[in-house]
Amino acid sequence: MKSFLLKVSLLLFFLLKITNGDVLFSSLPRSLFVVVSTMEVLKAGEDNITVTFGLNQTVTNQTDESYKKVKVKLCYAPVSQVDRKWRKTNDNLKKDKTCQFTIYNKPYERNVEGFKWDIEKDVPTATYFVRSYVYNDADEEIAYGQTTNDKKSDNLFKIEGISGRSMLIDIASICFSVFAFLSLVGFFFIEKRQSKVKT
Amino acid sequence: MPEIEGSPGTSMHGVTGREPVLAFSVASPMVHTDRTAKFDLPVDSEHKATKFKLFSFANPHMRTFHLSWISFFTTFISTFAAAPLVPIIRDNLDLKKADIGNAGVASVSGSIFSRLVMGAVCDLLGPRYGCAFLIMLSAPTVFCMSFVSDASGYIVVRFMIGFSLATFVSCQYWMSTMFNSKIIGLVNGTAAGWGNMGGGATQLLMPVLFEIIKKAGATPFTAWRIAFFIPGWFNVIMGILVLTLGQDLPDGNLGALQKKGDVAKDKFGKVLWYAVTNYRTWIFVLLYGYSMGVELTIDNVIAEYFYDRFDLKLHLAGIIAACFGMANLLARPFGGFTSDYMAKRFGMRGRLWNLWLLQTAGGLCCLCLGLVSSLPLAITFMMLFSIGAQAACGATFGIIPFISRRSLGIISGMTGAGGNFGSGLTQLIFFANASFSTEKGLTYMGIMIMLVTIPVSFVHFPQWGSMFFPPSQDIVKGSEEHYYVSEWTEEEKQKGMHQASLKFAENSRSERGGKVTSAPTPPENTPNHV
Repeated sequence: MKSFLLKVSLLLFFLLKITNGDVLFSSLPRSLFVVVSTMEVLKAGEDNITVTFGLNQTVTNQTDESYKKVKVKLCYAPVSQVDRKWRKTNDNLKKDKTCQFTIYNKPYERNVEGFKWDIEKDVPTATYFVRSYVYNDADEEIAYGQTTNDKKSDNLFKIEGISGRSMLIDIASICFSVFAFLSLVGFFFIEKRQSKVKT
Repeated sequence: MPEIEGSPGTSMHGVTGREPVLAFSVASPMVHTDRTAKFDLPVDSEHKATKFKLFSFANPHMRTFHLSWISFFTTFISTFAAAPLVPIIRDNLDLKKADIGNAGVASVSGSIFSRLVMGAVCDLLGPRYGCAFLIMLSAPTVFCMSFVSDASGYIVVRFMIGFSLATFVSCQYWMSTMFNSKIIGLVNGTAAGWGNMGGGATQLLMPVLFEIIKKAGATPFTAWRIAFFIPGWFNVIMGILVLTLGQDLPDGNLGALQKKGDVAKDKFGKVLWYAVTNYRTWIFVLLYGYSMGVELTIDNVIAEYFYDRFDLKLHLAGIIAACFGMANLLARPFGGFTSDYMAKRFGMRGRLWNLWLLQTAGGLCCLCLGLVSSLPLAITFMMLFSIGAQAACGATFGIIPFISRRSLGIISGMTGAGGNFGSGLTQLIFFANASFSTEKGLTYMGIMIMLVTIPVSFVHFPQWGSMFFPPSQDIVKGSEEHYYVSEWTEEEKQKGMHQASLKFAENSRSERGGKVTSAPTPPENTPNHV
């Protein structure tokens, strides 16, 4: 009796969330597969990754008639989420912050060759995996696929972000600092000399 | 037969229709106006201005006011420039929550030390040099942000930039040398409040600069570094202006006046002793940690709080965060004004009650801010909290000039340092910990504010009383002269070193509070006892 009540209330809870318009990740079927080309450490702004994705052949009785749009996203692995609440995983996809970079956004086609994505310069240093979502007409997620397992522990890859520093900025910074220091010292001595002249 | 002051029918208040109603100007017979001095504003016997003309830049009083508050404003911009850009910086440098929290602590800790030193520097070398040196030497630290590549570098640079917040002390000290004690609450409150606005202005300025630089073609991780050059240049420009246009005292610069013998040179050890052995200093050090301190804490955490908790965009979170700091435009002067207003009727007791009420109200609103989860309510409580805390800051510095005349600089410095210490401590306990959510931290901070404000009821002046007790009835001990001259030894009195304190004591008699019917005589009449 108790477990029955629990199941009913959980079901109602999920239904409520869905009828509210909030899609839960745990409710999505893993109908797609995603494969990423390389597993070495990659450099932002220099390297690229090749992603292939499509319908997961092992899942039977699939129909992709309601699949209208596909997005592929770059997502943080759990190790890069530790002590960083701004990357937290939330089952409610509206509040979920795991996948912050969309690398592919196109209408759904059954047979896609795969694509190459140049790792952009604003991608930070972290460990990642790739996930794809398919959307229906109402722009809601209805299925997903990802390169890693459910625990998000294998097939992860690292990206090294750019430092953001440049020689030009460093030089400008040093020049301005020297100017500030010299003008201070200069003023001080000029005033000292002026007061000596006066007395 | 001369008319007796205060008797019915003698008050000329309102007769000409030109008298100011409120305490922006001093025209009471208790303050001697020195008519021999040639200044743009009316001055008292110490040549401090008795009127506050906001839109004037005349030398020396109003020019000092503007140089002073703008320098302080600039250092606030530099110190909190990183806060609204944290969502970008944390990705560039791979920071964790603890790193961000520790950087926040570091940004306010540096000036604990520098505010203490600045107090002494002002007493010994003058506020002009103090301000200019600090602001020019901290410009390179701001430029250093361009070199930062990891968490430790970030923390170190924020620590170094934070030293520049000591301009607060030079600002308040400079105001106290230029303006009479009856309007000092308002003047100090306005100068410091407008300076503090920098903490709000930077939340608007930095995201905008970042967007512009990004649009000009830089990638995000480079754009934020370039954005830091602007605050650095503000520092340099203000340093040059202070050196070329400023002066320490109404009559000239400290060095020149000391040579002439007009201003006595004092000993650091003595000045420190009288500051440290006065228990009132320590109570205000504690209190300021929970009015100014919490303001600095909020400057560091609020933009990120709104960005993360309410899912706002970066520039929107920055706008809300800016509103907190910008409330200083009116809130802090308001605190100084209410302090002066209460003093007019109730004297020092009024000032103390005013402070307690404002600070406690602020704490209550902070508690509520942490409890609400709707955006409009959060913004409302944040604004009410900002008004309470910032007005309390203004009210505090309406009282500080009266604690001591000899050690004003060091006491201002210690109080200012206390503000930063409170901020560092609060951020460490409540906001650098991954186990506390930010909203819980805000609630606990609110409770702490209310508890820490209670000690203000222990502050007692023998000549003016305290929140609950009346002044001393003894004729000698209950006089202002006795309180201020007791800071000098017989030897020093024989050398005449206590003259400035005597003048100050005379000018401070207004802190006894007036009778309700007492009214200022119009400026055209000469006071009866001249």
